[in-house]
Amino acid sequence: MNLPQLQAAGSCQSTGEVPALSQAFDVVRQGPTKVVRDGRRLTVCHKDELPPGQKKIITEGKWSAGVYNIAGSYYAIKNVCPHAGAPLCKGTVHATHQPSDVGEFDPAYHGRILRCPWHGWEFDIPTGKGLYDRKSRVATYPVVVDEQGMVVVIR
Amino acid sequence: MPSELIIDMDIHPVASPSCPLEPCIPDSIREAVNFKLNSAPGTGYANPFGFQRRDVSGFNDPHRTIEEHLDPLGLTYAVIQPTGMSVSLIHQIEVGSGMATAWNEWQVRYWLAADERYIGSICVNMRDPEAAVREIDRYAEHPQMRQLCICGESDDLYGHRRYFPIYAAAARHGLPITIHPGTEGALNSATPIGRPTNYLQWHTLIPLTYQAHLVSLVTEGVFEKFPELRFVLCEGGIAWLPHVLWRMDKNFKGLRAMAPWLKRHPSEYVLEHIRLTTQPIEEPASPQHLMQIFDMVEAHRTVCFATDYPHWDFDDPFQSLPRMDEKLKNRIFYDTAAELYGLPSRESVMQARSAQSPEAVK
Repeated sequence: MNLPQLQAAGSCQSTGEVPALSQAFDVVRQGPTKVVRDGRRLTVCHKDELPPGQKKIITEGKWSAGVYNIAGSYYAIKNVCPHAGAPLCKGTVHATHQPSDVGEFDPAYHGRILRCPWHGWEFDIPTGKGLYDRKSRVATYPVVVDEQGMVVVIR
Repeated sequence: MPSELIIDMDIHPVASPSCPLEPCIPDSIREAVNFKLNSAPGTGYANPFGFQRRDVSGFNDPHRTIEEHLDPLGLTYAVIQPTGMSVSLIHQIEVGSGMATAWNEWQVRYWLAADERYIGSICVNMRDPEAAVREIDRYAEHPQMRQLCICGESDDLYGHRRYFPIYAAAARHGLPITIHPGTEGALNSATPIGRPTNYLQWHTLIPLTYQAHLVSLVTEGVFEKFPELRFVLCEGGIAWLPHVLWRMDKNFKGLRAMAPWLKRHPSEYVLEHIRLTTQPIEEPASPQHLMQIFDMVEAHRTVCFATDYPHWDFDDPFQSLPRMDEKLKNRIFYDTAAELYGLPSRESVMQARSAQSPEAVK
């Protein structure tokens, strides 16, 4: 088994506006946001309420996801760790070291690596891929901003 | 019953008047040895009942070892793990490197010349990588020198990059590196908490050192850097391995960013690059429990038979292992070690034998 190499995702690698790594997303102190469903569309909030470097945890019944603004791009990832069922999106967001040569550290993926709050397993927010093996993946959902500027998760 | 062919991964001949070490010592350190500059720290743990079996005495002579050990047990090959495995502990570094040469010359001159079944181990001074590489380059060409042998005690855990030049040379020549116990506690305490008080404790705790070296080798990326390299953990037990594999893999999942050069799970490197020897085999009340451990560590690719002749805790090939199927038996007694050392395959040995004496095979 080889570990995954991640592709650059959206604008989160290209702008200079990525907040400092581990400070980017602090532990959420506010409660989750209940969302309103319209067909497959779950309206989260106005985009002004979700600036870069912020996230919202949303719920609908027992289902929950984290909605992240990473440098102007929006991503939603299911709020369950595939390992032991932890509320994944309560984890912090970091950079990490991408696969490198022996004895070298190669920091990468700034502001987009979600670290599970329970055991520290790493997931790439844009793709949902676990970094610790090739198979592991968390569900992700498309996010759009509608004409009114509302952030909408497609579920 | 063992398989028809047997490689004994661990025998310990000693120097004696019939195979003296003294003439093999290089001239450059001869006077230094007279000055006792070959002194080295010991563990301080004595076995009160002696280190050798009481029923053997041939280990100080290559021909008597054949009569007493190789022939009666029907060994196809026997791997010499020489006293020189611990030259790295000699205080005076130049003398340590010179004594490595002495022990290599001693094997070639007396033992490897005596019988093709003897497999030699290149001794190297791990504190002197330049000299160690020269030693490897010098002796690797000998057809019976098939590995390096180093002691379990060391200045640093064996994943440390100070040893990389030695690993590069071993990998270049396709030579595995055996770590052999006996010196644990000579430089550091034999346990992280403090010094055991007697040989019973010390001998039981040898796997602690092995676990430390193993985790270090894997996580420092030695097998990413040297994909051809193999290590043998000799005489350090097997049953502890599943725990270490599982713990290392679990930790890796949360902490992999500390070792980003690992492209696979740690256990995968172990199963591919590490071999373990059987003696002293764990003897649980139910032999089936050992077979379950064998299953967990993929014994068909990782475990090789050894006797430790002539030491006190010798394992007999006919008595020491639980019943197992023919396929696994063949792997453990011969095939895995033959592949490790590049020795003739089971098929080619059997063919050669039947060509020599067609009657005997019938």
